[in-house]
Amino acid sequence: MLGGCFSSADTFHFLETVATTICLLPGRFGGPHIGTRPRLDSSASRHFPPERWRLLLPTTERTAGRTRSPAAPEPWRPAANTKKLRMNRHTATMETLCMTVVLSEEILMLNKSYQPQLRRTLLKYKDSRRSSGKAIAIKRAQEQCRAKTPEALQGRKHIDIQTDLYLEELSNVIVATDIECQTDAFLDRPASPLFIPAKSGEDVATQIEEGELFDFDREVQPVLEVLVGKTIEQSLLEVMEEEELACLMAQQRAFHELRNIHLAEVQHLQEKERRHSEEKERRIAQQKEVLKKERETAEKIAARAYTKQYLADLLPAAFTSLRTHGFFNDPVETDIETHFLPWLMDEVNSKLERRYAARELLESIIHEVAEKRLEQFKEPET
Amino acid sequence: MSRDTGAGPDPGRAPVAFGLRAVPRLFEELQQPGSGSRRRALASLCGLMLDPERLHQTVRGGFLEQLKVLLKDEDPSVRGETCKLLHLLSGHSVGREALLSSSLLPPLSQLLDDQSSSCRTNVHRVLNRLTLLPAGADALLSLVPKLMLKLKEEEEEEEVQVLLLSTLSCVSRLDALPALSSDGVSLVGHKLSHRSPNVRREAAAAMMALSVPEDGKRQVCEKAVLPVVVGLLQEEDVEIQANAAGVIMYTVIITAGKQQCLDLDVVPVLLRLLSNQRREEDEEAQRRRRRKALVVYTLRALTSLAEAPDGRRLLLEQLPLLERQSEATEEDQDIQRAAQTLVRAVTWTP
Repeated sequence: MLGGCFSSADTFHFLETVATTICLLPGRFGGPHIGTRPRLDSSASRHFPPERWRLLLPTTERTAGRTRSPAAPEPWRPAANTKKLRMNRHTATMETLCMTVVLSEEILMLNKSYQPQLRRTLLKYKDSRRSSGKAIAIKRAQEQCRAKTPEALQGRKHIDIQTDLYLEELSNVIVATDIECQTDAFLDRPASPLFIPAKSGEDVATQIEEGELFDFDREVQPVLEVLVGKTIEQSLLEVMEEEELACLMAQQRAFHELRNIHLAEVQHLQEKERRHSEEKERRIAQQKEVLKKERETAEKIAARAYTKQYLADLLPAAFTSLRTHGFFNDPVETDIETHFLPWLMDEVNSKLERRYAARELLESIIHEVAEKRLEQFKEPET
Repeated sequence: MSRDTGAGPDPGRAPVAFGLRAVPRLFEELQQPGSGSRRRALASLCGLMLDPERLHQTVRGGFLEQLKVLLKDEDPSVRGETCKLLHLLSGHSVGREALLSSSLLPPLSQLLDDQSSSCRTNVHRVLNRLTLLPAGADALLSLVPKLMLKLKEEEEEEEVQVLLLSTLSCVSRLDALPALSSDGVSLVGHKLSHRSPNVRREAAAAMMALSVPEDGKRQVCEKAVLPVVVGLLQEEDVEIQANAAGVIMYTVIITAGKQQCLDLDVVPVLLRLLSNQRREEDEEAQRRRRRKALVVYTLRALTSLAEAPDGRRLLLEQLPLLERQSEATEEDQDIQRAAQTLVRAVTWTP
């Protein structure tokens, strides 16, 4: 919420409003909350736990031991001699303003849309507080010089009371209510309702009684006739077609039967004819065979007769020729001829050869002697 | 009143513009890439397509190409709805033709492997309806291997299997070779013993279509499907019996088939079927019509079986019954003629 848009309002006014807002918020967001102190950490952490939102408001109690940054402002104390008034909101404005400034500054640091004046102001405040302890001491001294309520006497105690006419309840709990607002996603434009014009005019009704328009039984007749007629016609057509085909087939069958019969007869006759002709052929052939055989037999007989006659005087001629060829021979004669006579001749030859051999020997001897004598004769001559 | 159904503002459907603007506007909305708006627009379109005028407008307006984008959408419910729309479209002949002429078949066939089962069911329905057109069956020929692969998977539901088998039988009636080359006989034969009668019926029909070419007959004999078929002859459903009789009728044309059937002792069964028919003369015309196929198939099968010596022997014993059949009192020309042929075959001498 703080980080929201920055209008170009007066920075101070803004800061004031910021501060008041923060003051007015419940404790969690930094509204008046007794008894707490801000834990202002000037470290660079940007994490803002809710506790940081609780601002210290000036209280009369002094607490020690709280961690406080040196830049944390002192709790505002009224001067000793001033009236003990407690002015929460207005006097604390500055203080809280400073703190809020700190806080808001730190918060707003996040926000990029910084206005230069604001920045400068904030920086100034920051600087003023972040300055050395001397400035703080000076400031403290200044505060001390202011009039404050005197301290309570011994045995007494100061109490805060309200002095207004009407008492106010000091509560740190502000009754607050959460209100959220959220825009819905865009819905379609709903349909415009139908425009039904108001009824105008008179209502008139009418009713057709039975038998007024037409007479069903009479009117349906032609329609039925057509329907039934068409159906029957179509079915008749189909049946006729089938019958036509059946007729065709029956006719073909009858034709085929006749054809078969006649064909069978024809074939039978053909076969008969064939058989007859074959038979005839065979008989003729047989006859021919017979004739041939007869002829052959006649020839054979003639041949036989002739040969018989021819061979009648064959025998003596054969014998004669055989004898001349020497087939009839005397074995002794043959033997003599083949064995004895050659042996004889051989013997004769051998004897003769011996004689010749002897004669030759003699001749040679004589020859030798004659030669020798010749030589002898020749020698003495010399 | 207009022809609009005038359904109320349904949160699951996009709003429908008036008159001629309905369909184009819905298709414009379909082009926006947002699966919620697409689903709603598709739901409204499905409702609109029930009207033939709208359907015509859709087909003629060339909006089908835009559906191609939708078939590749990421949201499975969008794909399923598109297939439902195509299913409705294929209910009419113009729709079927438009579907064929547009290039929607390849993406549709890709959807056969889709993850959502409702989508696959719808695709099967569309393909099934397409086979009503011979051109459709023609276009589906190229899809046959894929369909056979689908047939191998066991976890398909019954409806899907029925649709698949009926599509296969329709396509195979046109040309059975692709199905045969992808091992059709064994797969379909497996389905012959399925627990559901619908599946069995369709499987028998498919087997009948498969056994028309010679290769099929030979495969049927080799893969030992005939015992199952003979078992099917004794079921209660006339259609199944008729289909089974058809299979037998085709198979006994070749000698191997004759041999197998005679081994399985099928002649008495067939004769019993004939006599059943004889007894139940006073039925309604429709049932008589359905039995007619059965009767004629049986007669033809017996005619073929009469060419084998064993069959001839058995049938000679039953000759009086057969002669009764071929009386002039028999109303149906075809039955009469068939019975006469049978009698002639039985009494034929070289």
